[in-house]
Amino acid sequence: MKKETKDKVVFAAFLAPALFAFVMVVIIPFFMGLYYSMTDWTAVVGRQVNWVGLRNYQNMFNNVAFQYSFFRTFLFSFLSVISINLIALMFAFLVTREIRLRNLYRAGFFIPNLIGGLVLGYIWQFIFKEVVPAIGGRLGISLIENLLLLSDPNLTMFGLVMAFTWQYAGYIMMIYVAALLNVPQELLEASEIDGANFWQKFRNITVPMIAQAFTITSFLTLVNSFKQYDIIVALTAGGPTAIFRGQVVDSTELLAVHIYNVAFKYNRMAEGQARAIVFFLMLSVVSIGQVYFNKKKEIEM
Amino acid sequence: MANLSLKGVNKIYPNGFQAVKEVNLEIEDKEFMVFVGPSGCGKTTTLRMIAGLEEATSGQIHIGDRMVNDVSPKDRNIAMVFQNYALYPHMSVYDNMAFGLKLSKTPKAEIEERIQRAAKVLDITTLLDRKPKQLSGGQRQRVALGRAIVRKPQVFLMDEPLSNLDAKLRVQMRTELIKLHNDLETTFIYVTHDQTEAMTMGTRICVINNGEIQQVAEPRTIYKYPINVFVAGFIGAPQMNFFNGKIKETADVIIEGVTMPINTELVERVKKDNRYNQDIIVGIRPEDIYLSKDDQGLEVTVAVTELLGSDLNIYFKVGDKQYVMKTDSSITPEFGQKIKVKFDPQKVHLFDVENEKSLYYDDEETINVAVEA
Repeated sequence: MKKETKDKVVFAAFLAPALFAFVMVVIIPFFMGLYYSMTDWTAVVGRQVNWVGLRNYQNMFNNVAFQYSFFRTFLFSFLSVISINLIALMFAFLVTREIRLRNLYRAGFFIPNLIGGLVLGYIWQFIFKEVVPAIGGRLGISLIENLLLLSDPNLTMFGLVMAFTWQYAGYIMMIYVAALLNVPQELLEASEIDGANFWQKFRNITVPMIAQAFTITSFLTLVNSFKQYDIIVALTAGGPTAIFRGQVVDSTELLAVHIYNVAFKYNRMAEGQARAIVFFLMLSVVSIGQVYFNKKKEIEM
Repeated sequence: MANLSLKGVNKIYPNGFQAVKEVNLEIEDKEFMVFVGPSGCGKTTTLRMIAGLEEATSGQIHIGDRMVNDVSPKDRNIAMVFQNYALYPHMSVYDNMAFGLKLSKTPKAEIEERIQRAAKVLDITTLLDRKPKQLSGGQRQRVALGRAIVRKPQVFLMDEPLSNLDAKLRVQMRTELIKLHNDLETTFIYVTHDQTEAMTMGTRICVINNGEIQQVAEPRTIYKYPINVFVAGFIGAPQMNFFNGKIKETADVIIEGVTMPINTELVERVKKDNRYNQDIIVGIRPEDIYLSKDDQGLEVTVAVTELLGSDLNIYFKVGDKQYVMKTDSSITPEFGQKIKVKFDPQKVHLFDVENEKSLYYDDEETINVAVEA
C-alpha cells in the first residue's frame, strides 16, 4: 500500500468511532427534531403523527408565556454574565495577591461549583426563606425580616442570579487566575514606573492582556446562563406568578424550564421541540457573535 | 538630573535570604554607574530598590536630596529599561512611548514633539505606527530606550538591556548608549553581568558579589588595582591567573620554586606588614606574562593555544593547574612544548591568603599607589 493511502486508512480508523457517536447522538437527533417540530407529535404511542408545517413556530411566537420567558431569559443572562464575571474577576485578583491562605480561598471559592444545581437550589431556598428573615429579625431590621425574595416576581430574578453566581463564579475565577498569572510582571512594573496607578494599570495593561480569558469566560457564562435549568427548578420551580400582557405567567420560567414544561408537563412534544430549535439558533447566534466580537480584542504577543 | 545615594541598604526576602547586604554607595549626577557581578549577586535587586519595585528592608535611598524609601515608583522621577524590554504588546510604538506622558497629563503637542525628537535620536521614526511584535530585537531595544527618554527622568535605570541582542548588535548598542549618555547628561545606572560592558561603558563600576559591594572605582582602577581576588578574577578576560606563592626574605616571591621579583610598592607593604616567609596569593593578568628571553623563569607546558587574530592566548599547565597568557600572534608554540615564562614585576598583584585582599590597599581600603588617570 502506498504511504498516502495507508495514512488515510489510519486516519479514518481513528476518526470513525467519534464520528459514529457524533452522528448517532447529535446529527440524526437534530434532524429528527427538526422534522418533529413541524408535526403534531405527542409521543403517545399509536397516535398518528401529522405534518403541520410551521404552525408550531407560529404558535410559539404568538404565545405570551414564550415571549415572556424569552425576555426574562435575556434579562437573567445579562445580569448573570455581569455579576459572575465581576465577582470572579475580583476573586481572581484577590487570590493572585501575596496574601496568606490564598490557596484556601482559591479552593473555597471553587467548591460551590462542585455542588449540584438541585442541591444548591434547595440550600439557597432555605437561605432566602429562613436564614435571611431570621437574621433580619435578630438585627431588628424589618426590611430584611420581611424580605421575601422568592415570592416577589421582580426580586426572584435577583435571587436566581445570586445563587447562580455563587455556584459559577469560582469556576470562572480559575480561568481569570490562569490569565492573570500569565500577564508578564515586567509590563505591570513598566507601567508602574510610567506613572500608572492601580486603576490605570488595570485598564491599560491587565484588561487588554487578559482579553483571551474574557472571550472564554463570557462565552461560558453566557451559554450557561441561557441554558440554566436545575437551580431554577430547585429554587423557584418557575414561580412566583406575574401578569404579562394580561395573562398569568411564571416569572422565573426561563427558556430551558419553559421548553421542558411545554414538552413534558403539558405533553406538547412537537411544540417544545420547535421552541428548542429556536432556542438553539438564538443561542448559536448570540454566542458566535460574542466570540467573534471578543476575539478581535485579543492581543498577539 | 540628580545624584543618588544608598545608605546601609539591606534586602532580606521573606524566606530569610539576604540578597543585598549593607550597601553604601554615592552616585554622582550625570554619572554612568555600572553594577556588575555574577548572576544572583543582588545587582538587579539593588536596581529594583532604587526604582521602587522592591522595598528596602532597611537603610535609606536618596534621589537628589529626597529620601524615596516610601515614594512609589511613579513619583521617583526615574525611567527603567527592562531586560525583556517590557513593551506593551497591544500598543503601537508611538503609544508605548506616549503612555507615561499621557498619564502625567502632558499636553498633546508636547507629547508629539518629545516623541518625534526621541525617535529621531534613536532612528525609529519610521517604526512609530508598528506594534512591538513587528519589530526586531534591536528595534524593540530602541523603543524601550525611547520610552525612557521621552519622560526626561532624573535617573535612568537599565537592567541588562543588551543581553537579549546578538553579539554584533550588542557592540553597536553599547556605543550608542555611551553616546546617548553624553547627549542626555543624565545619571545612568546600568546593571550587567558582562564585564566587557562594564569596562567599556561605565564612568565608574560597582562590583557586587553575594549582595555586598566589593569595589567601586573607575574602570581603569578596577582593572589595574582590583581590591580583592574576586574583583581581580571577575574583571578582565581571559581572567587573571592566581598562583600560590611564598614571600622570601629578599621580598621576592617564590612560585613553584622559581623566584619572581615584585615592584617597590609591594616590597614596601611586605616590609611594613612583616610578611616574610608567609604564604601569599600571586595574581598576574594574562597580558603581563611574557616568554622568557633567557634561561630563567617558570617552566610551563603548553596545553591549548587560541588565536584571536592579533593576539594569541596560550593556556599552559604548571602541575595539574591551568593558566593563561596573552602574547602577540607572531609565535606559535606547540601542544606539550615546554616554555619558560616571566611576570612583569610592575603588574604583579599580591593577595592575602586569609581575607583575599590586595596588598595595594591598606586596611581602610584606601589605595596605596598613585593611580594614573
